Amino acid sequence: MPTHGIGRWKYLLPKEAPRKKRDRLQMKQIRAATDTEYGSLSVKVSGYDMTVVEHYSQYIHNLCNRLRIRVAESYALPTKTTAVMLMQEQGTKMYVDALLKTHERIVQISSMNATLCPTFMDVVLQNQPEGVELTVKEHAERDFLERFKARPQLEGLMAQVNQRD
Amino acid sequence: MAAGRCFHQVFRLSVSAGGAAAGRTGIRRSSGAAAQHAAGPWRLLGAACVQRLAVISEERRPMEGRFSELMHQMELERSLMSDHELRLLDDKKKLKRRQAVDYDSEEEDDEDRDQDIILTQDLEDAWEQRRKLFHTQPRVQGDVDVRVERPDRWLTEPLVLLTQQEVGADKLWLLPQTPWEAGETLKTTAQRALSSTPGLEMQTVFLGSAPCGLYKYRLPRAVRGSEGVTGVKVFFFKAVLRGALPPPGPSSIWARKSELKDYLKPSYLDKIRPFLLDL
Repeated sequence: MPTHGIGRWKYLLPKEAPRKKRDRLQMKQIRAATDTEYGSLSVKVSGYDMTVVEHYSQYIHNLCNRLRIRVAESYALPTKTTAVMLMQEQGTKMYVDALLKTHERIVQISSMNATLCPTFMDVVLQNQPEGVELTVKEHAERDFLERFKARPQLEGLMAQVNQRD
Repeated sequence: MAAGRCFHQVFRLSVSAGGAAAGRTGIRRSSGAAAQHAAGPWRLLGAACVQRLAVISEERRPMEGRFSELMHQMELERSLMSDHELRLLDDKKKLKRRQAVDYDSEEEDDEDRDQDIILTQDLEDAWEQRRKLFHTQPRVQGDVDVRVERPDRWLTEPLVLLTQQEVGADKLWLLPQTPWEAGETLKTTAQRALSSTPGLEMQTVFLGSAPCGLYKYRLPRAVRGSEGVTGVKVFFFKAVLRGALPPPGPSSIWARKSELKDYLKPSYLDKIRPFLLDL
């Protein structure tokens, strides 16, 4: 037939690599601070009210995009729950009064201009909402490891294996 | 052959010219990098712009208040009940059931044998009592706002620290400044300006190592004198007050951006105003 395969078009598309499963999270390269340059910085926003904390971290991320500050990553740390225990009036037993959840969001900046830094910090501090804490510090590997939950079973097995050896 | 020789000569000439030029710029560069003497044509000064940031947010305008109330009501109506509210409803239903005429305590009380002695309503009452014991501070204190030397005035706006310094013959209101000494960075000069003056010791965090503004002042010809000082350059560094508010010091005031024109000279204020953000 002269018209065999006349509607074919998928062979013209570029070859797609097969989709793999999600890899383990890899750490992006951390630049150390030198005498003349800032290294990788992380801006940590923490508070009890999740909506306020998230909106503030989104505001910081958008501000970095506007000011052309390169953002390496923007992620959330696991939520920490604090139980407020009160002592009973007549007795020695403590009872749980309230559960406070601390939410933390981190915006990791890869390079910061020294001339832009005071302006950026001023804008971020002036727009800090009530009830939210802001910390800016140098990013280190242990900050990356904080993202992961502790695995007590695995650690127990590793300890056993090491003990046998 | 002749062409090749010409090219070689041209090449050598260009290389030597480039080398000589590099040598010349190299010499100039090294002299610029050496520490400047204090007796140059411009005196350098480092100044610190210390800001006490706003402590509380501003009051809502009427439109903002109405909108936020509307949004709050909408979200409340669309939301699901929390565990506490479900328990309240359950308790109310059980109470009603018990007070009904045909209540048989043996039949219907099977499930609730080990019920809590404290009802959810009692918990709410206890919380309400504790809330009444808590007293809030007033947001706006008019008598504190008027006193210019107090750092806890105008909690909704950022304030800037100004000091009165003797410049030449007269006393002027300026940002705290001090002359630069050879061998230190301008940022350490600004930090020294704060720590060396007796009334200005406070916990500050400098926001960056680069200056945010510059003020150049040319001295009038009569004053220029034998040292050949053309004028004065002041470099401003931004800092933010951290921790507890300092006590009001002598000859220092905390001014809002709108009040600066009452204290500073117009040319000085023109150079400062761009980097004082009013958000």
